Amino acid sequence: SRLAEGTPRRSIQLSNIVEQRIFKDDDVISTPKRSRAKISHSGEGDEDYTPKKSTQKTPTRSRRASTTTRPAKDSAPLTPSQKLKKIRAGELSPTIEQRLRPVDKSCKSQLQLAREQLHVSIIPKSLPCREKEFDNIYSFLEGKIQDECGGCMYVSGVPGTGKTATVTGVIRTLQHQVAQEKLTQFDFVEINGMRLTEPRQAYVQIYKQLTGKTLSWEHAHTLLEKRFTTPAPRRLTTVLLVDELDILCNRRQDVVYNLLDWPTKSAARLVVITIANTMDLPERLLMGKVTSRLGLTRLTFQPYTHKQLQEIVTARLGGSDAFKGEAVQLVARKVAAVSGDARRALDICRRATEIADMTEQSVATATKCVSILHVQQALAEMIASAKVQAIKNCSRLEQIFLQAVAAEVTRTGVEETTFMGVYTQVETIAAFMGAVVPAPGRALRLCSKLGAERLIICEHSRTDIFQKILLNVSADDIHYALRVEGNN
Amino acid sequence: MEQICAALEPQFPCRETTIKTLGELIGNCEEAYPAAIYLFGHTGTGKSALTKAFLQQCRKQQKVRVAQLNAIECYTTKILLENVLDALAPQGAEETAKRADNMLEFVNELRRWHDQENNSSYLIAVDNAERLRDMDANVLPVLLRLQQLTSLNLCVLLVSQLPFEKYYNKTGLSEIITLHMAQYNKAETLRILSADFVHVQRQLLAGLSGNEKGLRKCEQAMTPEFYSNYLSLFLSVFYKACRDVPELKLTARKCFSIYIEPVLAGTIEATDVSRLWRHIAGPLRAALTQIYMRFDKPADELEQQSNESDQSVRKLAQSLELPYYGKYLLIASFLASHNSAKQDKRLFVKHHGKQKKRMQTVNAKAKTTDKMSTTLGPKSFSIDRLLAIFYAILEEKVGLTCNLLSQISTLVHLKLLSFVSGEQNIMDGSARLQCTVGLEFVLHIGKVVGFNVRQYLCDFM
Repeated sequence: SRLAEGTPRRSIQLSNIVEQRIFKDDDVISTPKRSRAKISHSGEGDEDYTPKKSTQKTPTRSRRASTTTRPAKDSAPLTPSQKLKKIRAGELSPTIEQRLRPVDKSCKSQLQLAREQLHVSIIPKSLPCREKEFDNIYSFLEGKIQDECGGCMYVSGVPGTGKTATVTGVIRTLQHQVAQEKLTQFDFVEINGMRLTEPRQAYVQIYKQLTGKTLSWEHAHTLLEKRFTTPAPRRLTTVLLVDELDILCNRRQDVVYNLLDWPTKSAARLVVITIANTMDLPERLLMGKVTSRLGLTRLTFQPYTHKQLQEIVTARLGGSDAFKGEAVQLVARKVAAVSGDARRALDICRRATEIADMTEQSVATATKCVSILHVQQALAEMIASAKVQAIKNCSRLEQIFLQAVAAEVTRTGVEETTFMGVYTQVETIAAFMGAVVPAPGRALRLCSKLGAERLIICEHSRTDIFQKILLNVSADDIHYALRVEGNN
Repeated sequence: MEQICAALEPQFPCRETTIKTLGELIGNCEEAYPAAIYLFGHTGTGKSALTKAFLQQCRKQQKVRVAQLNAIECYTTKILLENVLDALAPQGAEETAKRADNMLEFVNELRRWHDQENNSSYLIAVDNAERLRDMDANVLPVLLRLQQLTSLNLCVLLVSQLPFEKYYNKTGLSEIITLHMAQYNKAETLRILSADFVHVQRQLLAGLSGNEKGLRKCEQAMTPEFYSNYLSLFLSVFYKACRDVPELKLTARKCFSIYIEPVLAGTIEATDVSRLWRHIAGPLRAALTQIYMRFDKPADELEQQSNESDQSVRKLAQSLELPYYGKYLLIASFLASHNSAKQDKRLFVKHHGKQKKRMQTVNAKAKTTDKMSTTLGPKSFSIDRLLAIFYAILEEKVGLTCNLLSQISTLVHLKLLSFVSGEQNIMDGSARLQCTVGLEFVLHIGKVVGFNVRQYLCDFM
C-alpha cells in the first residue's frame, strides 16, 4: 500500500480501546514493579467497574502481600489479562462513571421541559402517524412467532421516518405480550451495520447477544451455524433486527447471505427484519440468491408530510403551551418540503426553544413561549447555507480570487480552470479595482486557503501554476455576496 | 542570543543578517519560540550547515534539546518520529524504550516529558523538507503545529530548496515564518573563497617540503593579494556558469596549482598578472567544462581531455564491448527510433519504386531544422520493426536464433534500449521500445563495424 497519500492508516485495535476505557492508564502497566500508591489507586478504579463491590477488609495492609498470598478470587485487583478474559466472557459488565447527582426536575422551566420532550433520543411509547406500519410489522412478527417458522422482512425509507423506532416499538409490545403470557417466548437480537468494523463482526455481535461471550468471528460463525441448522427441542424463536443492511454488503455478500439463509432452515426458527434506506437495495446491490431469500415481504416508510410532522411535534409537547401553533406549523412545512425528516424537525424546534430562552431574558420564565420569529431564526441557522456569509467574510484578495475563478469559468466555458488562467484574471480584476496584484506565490496561498475552506476545489500546490481549480460555490453566490456588500 | 551569533559569525561570513534573524527568533530559549521556521535557498548557500551549527551552539550554551534529521532518510513516518524522540529524550528517559507508532503516540510522549521536566526547550531541524510532502498526509500539518499540540517550547525548522508555496496541501497549513537565504554575489563569493587562503598556503608548503628554493619562492609569492588576484581571475571565468560555493572552492583549489606553477618555476614573476592570465586562461576554460563532474584527475590530463569535446562519448563507445550483432541491433534500433516508419520502405527495401517529388515534401523539408528527429528525441518502435531493419542493414542473412533475441533483452538490461509500453506482453508484439543512446555514440559504433549510419538517417538526406 502506498504510504504517501490519504489518511493515516488505522492501527487501533478493539482490545486497546477496551483497555484504555476499562483500565486507568497506569493500571495497564504490568504488575510486579507497581508502587503502593498506584495499587491503591487501581483498587479504586476497580470498584467502579466491577458490578459486585468487593469490600476491602484491611485497607491498611500492604496490598502486595495480599496479591501474592491470596488467591486472586476476592478483593485482589485483577491483572489486565484477567480482566480482559472476564470481559470476553461477559462476566464484567461495562459501566461508565456516575455523576454525583442529576438536576432536580421540579426547578425546570416550561421551555426546558419542552426542550427535554423534544429531544430526539426520547422515543414516545407509540409513534404518531405510524400506526399502519406498526400494524403491518406487528402482524408479521406475531404470525411468525405463533407459527414457529422463520421469515424475512425488508423495511426501507429515508432517514428520520421512524423505521427503527417502529420496529423496536413492535418488539417492545411483543415482549409485553410475552410477559402477560399471551404469546410464546422469543429471543431478540439487534445488530447495526454501522456499529461493526467489518461485516463479519456481525456474527460476534449476534453470538454475544445470545450468550454474552465474545469470540472470534470464525468461532462465532460455526457456533451460530450449529445453532441454527441442528434441530433442538424447545428452541425459542429468535427475532433478529439488522439495521443498516447496506453496510453489511461486501463483495462476496457472505454475511448477508448467511443472515438471510438461516431463516430458510426449518430448525432455525429465525425471523430477520432488515432495515435500510434505499427502496431498491435488494435489486440494486444484492446478489440474486440473496434477493430471493430476502423475499417480497417489504414495507416502505414514506417521508412525513407537514401535517404528520406537526402532529409529531404536538404529541411531543403534550399539554405544554411552550410553542405557538403557527410556529410548529412553520417548522413542519419547512422540513416536509426538504426531507420529511422528523429528527430535523425536532432539532429545529429544540434550537428554537434555545433561541427563545436566550432572547427573552426580560419575560418571566413561566410565560416564555416560542413564537414564529424564533422559529424563523432557527431555520435560518440550520437550513440557510453559510457560503454567502463565508464569501462575505473573505479578505479582499480572496474575494478577487473567487471573482477571478468565476470570470475564468465564464470566459472559457469549462468548469475546470487552471491556476494560470485564473491568475491572469486576478491581475485584470486587481488592476481594475486598484488593488495590488499579489505575486503568484501569494496567490497560491490564497488558493490553498480557499481550497481548505472548500469554497473552491484545488489540487496540492506542488503543481503550482498548472493546478486545476473548480469553483465549489455557485457563481451567482459570489456575485450576490459581493454585489450586495458593495452596495452597503 | 548574542553569544550564539558571535560564535557563528566568523564561521559563516556574509550571513550576518540570517544569523541575526535566527538569533532573534530562536536565539533565547527562555523566550517563546515561533511554531515553525522555513529556511530556503539554493544549493550551496549554507542552509544545512548554518542550521546545524546554530543548533549545536544552542545546545552547548543553553538548555535546549536538539534533533536534526534528514527527511530523505525517513522513508516512513515511524522512523521520523522515533529519530526525533531519540534525539529529544531527556536524560532520565533513555532506558525506557521510545516507541511511537503514530503521531498520536509521538505527541503524547512529548507531552509526558513536559509533565516531567518543565522549562526545557526543543529545536527540531528537518533537512530536505520537501520530502515531507510525500509522507503521510498528517506529517507536515502536525509538525507545523507541534508546539501547540505538545504545549512545549518547541520550534520546527524546515530546510529546503523550494519556496513554501510548493507545500500547501488541500486541507490548509498553519502559519510558518519563512527565511530566504539568497545566493552570494560576486564580492561575497570572493570573500568566502579567499578565506580559503590559509588552507591553500599550508597545503602548498607541505607539498614543497624539501625543495628549498621552491619553498623560498613560494613564501615570497604566496600572499593574500596574490591569491585574491587569482580568485578574481578564476571568478571572471566561472561565476557566469556556477555560483555554488562548494563547487567553486573545489575547482579553485585544483586550478591554483596550475596557476602557481610558473611562479614557482621562476618563468613568470608573481606580479605579472597579464602573463599569468594568459597562462591560466586555457586550463580554467578547460576546467569549466568539467564542473560538477568531480573527476578526480590531475589538471593537465583534464585539460587534454577537454580539448576534444566528444572524447568521452568515443571512449564510452569504445569501452562498451558489444558483440557484432548486438552492435547492429543497436544501430537498427537507433534508426528505428529516429526515422519515421513511413520512410522505411524507401530506406530499406531494395526495389521501392520511384519517389515522386512533390511541392509539399519540398516545403516540409525546407523548415525542418527544428523538427530534426535527432533533436526531438527518439520515437518508439515495435520489436518486429527493429528486426526488419536489422535484417535490412545487415548484408548477411543470419538465422533468427534465441541468441539474437536475447541480445535485445540484454540491450534493454544495459539501458541502451528501454521499454516505453507493453512491458508485460513482449511476446505478442505490442511492446514498444525506444533507443536511448545519442547520435555520436551510434556513429562511433557504426565506424567500428564499418557501417555508415548517416546514410540511413532521414535527417541527413
